[in-house]
Amino acid sequence: MIVDAHVYLGSCLFGYGQSLDEVRARMERLGIDKAVLVPVKPQDYHLGPANELVAQVVRTHPDRFLGLCRVDPWQTEAAVSEARKGFDEMGACGLYLDPWEENFQANDDIVSPLVEEARHRSKPVVINAGHPRVSHPTQIWDLACQFPDVQFVACNGGQINICGLLLFEARRMMEACANITVQTAGTYREDFLEEIASEVGEERVIFASRSPVYDQEFEMARVRLAHLSESQKDKLWSANALALFH
Amino acid sequence: MIIDSHTHVDKVGWYDPPETILRLMDEAGIDKSIIMTYGDAPDVEGSLEYIAEAVQKYPDRLIGYARLNPGRGEEAHRLFEKAMEEYGFKGLKLHPVGNLCHPAGAETIEIIELACRYGAPVLFHCGDEELTLPLQIAQAAEECPEATIILGHMGGYFHWKDAIRVAERCENVVLDTSALPYPQAIREAVDRVGSRRVLYASDGPGCDPSLEVHKVKMAHLTPEDEEAVFHLSIETILDKVTNSGDRS
Repeated sequence: MIVDAHVYLGSCLFGYGQSLDEVRARMERLGIDKAVLVPVKPQDYHLGPANELVAQVVRTHPDRFLGLCRVDPWQTEAAVSEARKGFDEMGACGLYLDPWEENFQANDDIVSPLVEEARHRSKPVVINAGHPRVSHPTQIWDLACQFPDVQFVACNGGQINICGLLLFEARRMMEACANITVQTAGTYREDFLEEIASEVGEERVIFASRSPVYDQEFEMARVRLAHLSESQKDKLWSANALALFH
Repeated sequence: MIIDSHTHVDKVGWYDPPETILRLMDEAGIDKSIIMTYGDAPDVEGSLEYIAEAVQKYPDRLIGYARLNPGRGEEAHRLFEKAMEEYGFKGLKLHPVGNLCHPAGAETIEIIELACRYGAPVLFHCGDEELTLPLQIAQAAEECPEATIILGHMGGYFHWKDAIRVAERCENVVLDTSALPYPQAIREAVDRVGSRRVLYASDGPGCDPSLEVHKVKMAHLTPEDEEAVFHLSIETILDKVTNSGDRS
């Protein structure tokens, strides 16, 4: 079974996007059984309708899709209300925070009330991680320490740096915080993912493509070709994600 | 035939003996790889010798580039001459993050000009970090039009469009495909600057050469373009190298 733990749905302000038909056709072609849908930031900046679009798809195809609720911490009380609505009315399986596109620091105080909402419901918080200044591994690490009973999922292997300089910090983050899992999408250096799965914990890595930001087929190859055992890969492909998102 | 234009072998820091990259080359069906250290000579003692020994041990599989700190001036020049003339290296690797030399600073331009005397390509780390941005390296390419300047990683995660734009502007700029996570960027690079200026590279062994080969195949190039990217383009560059330094 293959679960893609991060697939964007909708047309994004920043130029990327995909329709449900495109998502489903590619899942069919690539043999992906299930996807966690993530709302994009739309042209009109309003995340509410983007969350509703994801929720509708999940309601219609509960066997194929799960959905995250995306909120902008700068919306303060309105964001908290949106998160509550996402969990209690729209069936969101987790919260999505994007410090890069919403322009806030991942460990800022404005994030805390939102993480509290996730904590009350035992839902994970997915963060677009690895962006210098807003979601550096040390900032994700700091946030995870503030909420040790919340599960966090860091996109991009927790680090985006083609120099390799963030590999050290991301590894330290993973060793220090048992409540952080990393996604495979776009990760610099496959040996980083292999080492996290083999040396830190095989339950700490999940397959995700962040399609269409990254190429879903290429991101599958990243896992398929990894130097891991088949049982470890089974966990990356689906078991770890299914344990987190429900 | 596949030649990997950018891989690493080193004995300090990230410890990667030559056998590591050779194992991954065999997995990926790669015939030859260009190897370089992670650290600069002479700052890291014995680094050039380590590459020379690896090339001597596996002469049919490995080709050496000298990674140097241009800020070391004459000492770096002497080491480059030794690497070319005694060790038979084929190029120069510069990583400005490690040595804090601007890619178009006077000391960097001097060592690029020295590389030109050997017809040797200059491979820059070219990513998203200061001193490595495509538009910063473009200043060196424009100042040294005779040099072959390779943009390793072709601008990384956020600057690949700049890298292609620089290659369009500077005919002496070549792009290497390593590590950036976008197969479509390779296709766009080939469409806009031609396959003879795009090199297959992995940045292995940390980045998996097999996955990097797959990435090029996912670009859906014509068979002719794919052959150029996988080996003809780098062969043409290496054919111009002379180890006697008398090219000019």
